Amino acid sequence: MAKLYLKFDAAVLKEVALTQGVVTIGRLPDNVIQIDNLAVSGHHAKVFWDQDHFVVEDNNSLNGTFLNNRRISKATLKDNDVVLIGKHTLAFKDEWHEGAPGAAPEKSGPSLPKMEATMMLDTKKAKEMMAAAQAAAGAPRTGTAAEPSPVEHLEPPAPPKDRMGMLTVMEGKTDQKQYTLASKMSVIGKSDMASIRLRGFFAPSMAALISKQDAKYYIASSEPKIKVKINGQEIAGRKELNEGDIIEVAGIKMTFGYQD
Amino acid sequence: MSLSVQAAGQTDLGCVRKNNEDNFGYDTRLGLFVVCDGMGGAAAGEVASKLGVDTVLTYFREASRHHHYPVVGDTFEGVSVRANALASAIHLANQAIHETGTKSEGKRGMGSTIVAAMVQGNYLSIAHVGDSRIYLVRQGSIQQLTNDHSLVMEQVRRGLITREQAEKSEMQNIIIRALGSEDSVKPDVEDLVVLPGDVLLLCSDGLTKHVKDDWILGIILEAPDLEQACNDLIDAAKAHGGDDNITCVLVKTVQLPWYKKMFNIFGGNHRWQSST
Repeated sequence: MAKLYLKFDAAVLKEVALTQGVVTIGRLPDNVIQIDNLAVSGHHAKVFWDQDHFVVEDNNSLNGTFLNNRRISKATLKDNDVVLIGKHTLAFKDEWHEGAPGAAPEKSGPSLPKMEATMMLDTKKAKEMMAAAQAAAGAPRTGTAAEPSPVEHLEPPAPPKDRMGMLTVMEGKTDQKQYTLASKMSVIGKSDMASIRLRGFFAPSMAALISKQDAKYYIASSEPKIKVKINGQEIAGRKELNEGDIIEVAGIKMTFGYQD
Repeated sequence: MSLSVQAAGQTDLGCVRKNNEDNFGYDTRLGLFVVCDGMGGAAAGEVASKLGVDTVLTYFREASRHHHYPVVGDTFEGVSVRANALASAIHLANQAIHETGTKSEGKRGMGSTIVAAMVQGNYLSIAHVGDSRIYLVRQGSIQQLTNDHSLVMEQVRRGLITREQAEKSEMQNIIIRALGSEDSVKPDVEDLVVLPGDVLLLCSDGLTKHVKDDWILGIILEAPDLEQACNDLIDAAKAHGGDDNITCVLVKTVQLPWYKKMFNIFGGNHRWQSST
């Protein structure tokens, strides 16, 4: 199978498997491969299947389409060809000609040396690359196509949509009746580091710990002599919390659930 | 009973590189642990990572001596004084690397990642810049506490690519935040909690790009002690390519009986180590 890899510098922003349909390339969002850069024309070029080979054709673009560093209007693509559009390159890989069809589809990337030395991007370049990747992925953006995409939201990254856990206290002395488990770790205890703060002279300073990992919540007792019960069953080690679980620890009883 | 820490650290050239650009350092008296992975040609990488580790350790040694933690750079709201002190030390390290990088011709463009952890009793604060990581091994499970500041992980967080695609990507080596690249830097800082028996791992990407989380967990759980676990982790990375420098620092929290605690107060049993 043949593929096109959209690259900026050494970085692959997008890969497109070529079928017999036409792959359009340009600045506007209606292209199959969108390159949101002012050096690229709205409908800049296209790649398509012609009888028995792939062809790249320039669409009378302003800045031109270059195949292996030569300006072309229409040319046949062969394995390892590099098409330059603006500052972006499209690497053409024809794996069908390389060997057995379907062999090692996982390793279909261009044969660049992997794992090179770590390099860093300055903030500006990082924003450019994120914007390009976002454009390539067709992620929703605001702003018009003519201006560079707004990338002010690089920091902080958009929070992933995960459900927030909640505890509702049914019995016992605590500082609140309801807690949202927003942080990676929430302590139940009397200590000042506890987010679920126990009251009462005999309350342990740290009774149990609820940790959040990959949008799931786990509870564990903080030391062996403190017992934690889930739905009446004493737990050993850490246990995942499910919606509706009833937790009993250090004289308090609460239910776990998810926020809407 | 109170918590005390044991620690071990190890760094290795790996199988391909000609010089080791990683550095680490720790001081159990301060409860401070640092790993830096430097970058930049012509020996600049190791200079940057050494500056990173040394600046952070020196900041805390001086600060604890004078009982004053000077604020450097932006502070964070809603985190502890400890976490903000880590941020200050990292800002200072960034300034040191950035200045050296802009002043001396051969070191232009040098930079470094950093991960730093501070453990005091049950309190854990962490801070990082770049793609070095901190893991927590607790009760038979492993959790990555840091989010890589790398282009691919940023794309994963935004839902542009999957984690599997990220692990195969050729852009894995591109980081979007580093010490020294600009005159200011924004570390991620967080306050967390440690329990007795927890193990923290601070490591460079030379480990994590070859040895996946579950495997790291297995090695740490099976090793008889922390030194052996460090060696086993490095061996695992080298057995699978070892194309980068590999550095591991392991920290274990242990509950001490009162008489051992007294011994510690009177000066015994503390440990510090540095990679160079």
